[in-house]
Amino acid sequence: MTPLQPGSQPDIVEIIRKEGSSVDYEVGLESLNQWQLAWRRFRKHRLALVGLGILGFLIAVAIVGPIFMPFEFDVIPKPDQIVYQGRPPSLAHPFGETGGLQRDVLLLVVNGARTSLFIGFSSMSVGVLIGTIVGSVAGYFGGWVDNILMRIVDVMLSLPLLFVILVASRFFGNGNVILIIIIFGVFSWMTISRLTRSLFLSIRELEFVQAARAVGLSDRRIIFRHILPNAMSPIIVSASLLIAANIIAEAFVSFLGFGVNPIYPTWGNILSNALTFIPLGNWWWPAFPGLAIIFTVLAVNFIGDGLRDALDPRSKE
Amino acid sequence: MSKYIIRRLTQAIPVLFGITIVVYAILLAAPGGPTARFANNPKFTEADRAKFKKAWGLDQPIPVQYCRWMGICNPDNEGLAVFIGPTGWPAFLPTAVSGTTNGVLHGDLGVSIDTGEAVASRIARAALPTFILAGNALVIWILVALLIGVYAAIHRYSLFDQAATVFAYVGYAMPTFWLGIMLIFLFSGPGLNILPAGGMTETRLSPPFGSDAYWQYFAANPGTAIVDILRHLILPVFTLVVVNIAGDSRFIRSSMLEALGQDYVRTAKAKGLPARVVIFKHALRNALLPVVTNIGLEIPFLFTGAIVTETIFSWPGIGRMTIEATRSFDYPTLMGLLLITSILVVLANLIADIMYAIVDPRIQY
Repeated sequence: MTPLQPGSQPDIVEIIRKEGSSVDYEVGLESLNQWQLAWRRFRKHRLALVGLGILGFLIAVAIVGPIFMPFEFDVIPKPDQIVYQGRPPSLAHPFGETGGLQRDVLLLVVNGARTSLFIGFSSMSVGVLIGTIVGSVAGYFGGWVDNILMRIVDVMLSLPLLFVILVASRFFGNGNVILIIIIFGVFSWMTISRLTRSLFLSIRELEFVQAARAVGLSDRRIIFRHILPNAMSPIIVSASLLIAANIIAEAFVSFLGFGVNPIYPTWGNILSNALTFIPLGNWWWPAFPGLAIIFTVLAVNFIGDGLRDALDPRSKE
Repeated sequence: MSKYIIRRLTQAIPVLFGITIVVYAILLAAPGGPTARFANNPKFTEADRAKFKKAWGLDQPIPVQYCRWMGICNPDNEGLAVFIGPTGWPAFLPTAVSGTTNGVLHGDLGVSIDTGEAVASRIARAALPTFILAGNALVIWILVALLIGVYAAIHRYSLFDQAATVFAYVGYAMPTFWLGIMLIFLFSGPGLNILPAGGMTETRLSPPFGSDAYWQYFAANPGTAIVDILRHLILPVFTLVVVNIAGDSRFIRSSMLEALGQDYVRTAKAKGLPARVVIFKHALRNALLPVVTNIGLEIPFLFTGAIVTETIFSWPGIGRMTIEATRSFDYPTLMGLLLITSILVVLANLIADIMYAIVDPRIQY
């Protein structure tokens, strides 16, 4: 590293100050930690910032929205006006109203956002948790442990996963959100574990790991405190893409009627209910939850691209 | 080459074996097992449950059930003799030697609880509509992805390229089934009623697809029958291919761009070859190497995609059968379907590897 003269690069110093990094006044050097550097690279990726904005907005809606527009299953908004046809978007109901019970589609989409995003993020966490543990153990210990775990991964990856998730949700899910999350997690950790394993294989040979071993640290401490933090960047990139996959998978499973209990709105459930009304021309009913899915997945994919550039600069195409 | 193929095939055997165990474990770990289909039936007593379990062999321990499903055991014998087939040879050997005819290893996937029909023949019957759907989708998918990818790479940063990029991002983020719903609204809704919303044939004109009456009708007027099927194919095929086209056109574009930047392409241009030859003979052939593997690996997902597409468009294929079997806890059918799709995935992996070896002569075994 070339020594920085104090004040030699005022623009960088300025940026650093704004981000509140630590300044070592004695040496006159300002240091950025890994995450601050990554954030600087991430900010250059305009689409990723747009994605972050969209996702932030959707998350805010998912958290705050249901407080103002609560979904109550047993409250029928207009009991005296139940007709088969829905009503197209209007000022009072910008997303239109559903056929049948005449529910506000906006209210359904906002409440659906809560469940769908919650499932997307938590099942990603479950998948990443299992994947990193399996991958680290396989990569760190090697030998027969590695062999057995990776053969399990091979078999799991040879399954038609969407099909298996569908069947498992029907058989174990019971319409329960928590169980659905666990099922999605249990069938989506394989790529993460392969990635973690390959990272561990290369990192465990580095000097600092040998040093940690020489000091006599326990395996657990070496895995979680020394190797894993250094393997984190590619795992985060891969995890961000898992969110998008899981949100689509939730919609897929719920759409087919095997996901979250159909009386609760998720984006997939709304679409599923809307299907029979399509020949009537009630396009607003499926259109808006579908657009919500598209925007979420687009945003997550953009963020994933940005994260790849920011965290993993070497893997540039 | 053949040595390599044989080695890969032997490697696939333990994976397939593992798949049968996983498939079995997933289904049998479910609460209620096959009797879950009666969970909401108040007239179904405990005695009925016991009778049902006995009739379907569910009163046996799970290892025995698994081994009977696989065809390793012979249900007629008891004790250690269960492993012996009627001819005295081990039961897992082919039918000609062991005399055993039931079990997966002998091509028998069991009997559907729903319809009482053999699962293998049920799947075989539903396979034709799915192959018609998936086959057409595959051809269109590869052709369109190639056209978009190559054209976008040649005219990089042009308006077309940018439009293709937007299409790729949106198409990749779009849930297949949502696209299907919106297409039904657009083309068979009340406004623009020009395409059928579902089914495989016009039910008012022809007998249901697959029946003997249908084939007589088909033989009598093949022209109208084929046009009818094609009309019903348009929307489902379009629904099925958009995601794949979106992903692969980007992939082909970047692979093509890389090839176009190579020295041999510059040499070919410098020699004065026409652009067509440079693009299609020098660049495209090399750009296709990674694409071939990628497409090979994606083919089985046509079948998973077919699950939801067939449901939306009421296409009488394997996908819709999957949904029906899942809904009614029809275990034997589901296990057969899971097994066959898993085998397809393994085979696709194998074929992708072999195709890669064929198109890239540098690969050594």
